[in-house]
Amino acid sequence: MFRERLENFFFPARSTEWIAILRVSLGLQLILYVLSLWRDWNYLFASENRGLINRDLTEAILNLESPFVPRLGWLVSLAHKLGFAEGPVLTLAWVGLLAAGLCLCIGFLSRPAAIAAWLLHLAARSSGGFVTYGVDQFMTIGLFYLAIAPLPDRYSLDYALGWRCKAAPWRAGFHLRILQVHLCLIYFFGGLAKSLGAGWWDGTSLWRALTRPPFHLLNPNILLHWSGFLPAAGIVICMLELGYPVFIWPKMTRQFWLAAVLAMHIGIGLMMGLQLFAFIMIILNAAAFGADLVPSFTRMLQKSRARKAKA
Amino acid sequence: MSKPKQLLLACALGHFLLILAVCSRDTFSIVARGYTALPAALRPFSQKAEAILSFALGERLSSSNPARRTLNLYLRCAGIEAGYGFFAPNVPDNYKLVFELHYADGRVEYELPSAANVAAGLRLSTLIDNIGNTPYDPLREVLVKMMAYSVWREHPDVTMIRAVLGFILLPSPAELRRGIKESYKTTRAYDFVFAESKDAR
Repeated sequence: MFRERLENFFFPARSTEWIAILRVSLGLQLILYVLSLWRDWNYLFASENRGLINRDLTEAILNLESPFVPRLGWLVSLAHKLGFAEGPVLTLAWVGLLAAGLCLCIGFLSRPAAIAAWLLHLAARSSGGFVTYGVDQFMTIGLFYLAIAPLPDRYSLDYALGWRCKAAPWRAGFHLRILQVHLCLIYFFGGLAKSLGAGWWDGTSLWRALTRPPFHLLNPNILLHWSGFLPAAGIVICMLELGYPVFIWPKMTRQFWLAAVLAMHIGIGLMMGLQLFAFIMIILNAAAFGADLVPSFTRMLQKSRARKAKA
Repeated sequence: MSKPKQLLLACALGHFLLILAVCSRDTFSIVARGYTALPAALRPFSQKAEAILSFALGERLSSSNPARRTLNLYLRCAGIEAGYGFFAPNVPDNYKLVFELHYADGRVEYELPSAANVAAGLRLSTLIDNIGNTPYDPLREVLVKMMAYSVWREHPDVTMIRAVLGFILLPSPAELRRGIKESYKTTRAYDFVFAESKDAR
């Protein structure tokens, strides 16, 4: 009985719609990521005397964790042996990420593009070390799941060209469940850590988050006018995150919870200037729990059209 | 359940166990350090729980241990090597780095680290916060020196660069109403002298 339930939960038959959402939006995220850094790419990742922080130092620290983690230094060393300088190799990595992002968007060579995007982004993230933040961690998570998911999905160019994935529908369902459970853990622990701090209950943390450079996009005087709402907003954020693993599963509460979480991320993007961070969180949520809502939304539209036609 | 499904399920459970271990370790860590509103009596328990989870994640093994390296490789590749407590339990201090450029004629100019656009600026800000939060002083000094060197490359005629690290004290809503503005508290200052391609402190 338990085994059957476990099987039903982890291996539901699903179409590859959610993979298409993840693929296209991660491709777009990757394009925005590389375009946002195109002027500073070499400055951030160059080694001694050419960049901001010596990449060799970051990679030496990374070696203490594991010498096998992909890094840009590997590409540079390989190119050195072939007689190329560091600058062009870093530029090539940037171009590679951009090309992988474009391929993912249209679904051309989906699997190789997903693997290349994951490895190149991981290399940049590992070599960036001190200049990376939450967005990079979530991009790695998304790209990792995409790279191992059944590709190509049926909305890709690969599929139209006849390169089809022969995986059973339960494989798509299994990978979807992994992403869904992971998101539940992300929000639960994020909410738990916040709710353990007094600042999230009295509005102090939200005030500090919104007035702290470089996230202080709102005028503090305008914020001051609304400061009475900050404790309630802080508590709502804690509740949204803590309640995510419970309320995102039942169909009755899913739409509301998903909409509320997406609204929270849009707010973070607009009010704190963390657009890329907001976008990756929206992507992960939309792929994990939004794909199931597409048919019900379509049904709702069809019903509405039918009602109008009758009238 | 078929064999491939059993295998996939085992992999998934292992993956989730690792995520749970990392997130729980980070949560116990903030409790153990007294950053939360929980009673101090919970600290010893949290310290023990954090130690057990760190042990389970191989952090007590030597850095050259193959098991530790393999585990770290997987955690990094899957993006699950750290928890998700952003801005939690409290929003941390915001560090600021100011460079004083001293010229031979006694002139002093001030410069802040800058980037070409907002996205790179966010990363620069993360870097300065990481420098401020680094528990290892020699590493902090090396990082500040590298940043100072990148400034010196733009101004090779300066005789000395003083890097002043501090954090910004943000006013609370009540303080802002009283007209109190943000202030800057210096924590460390470093003097660097760079000459040609050789540098000396």
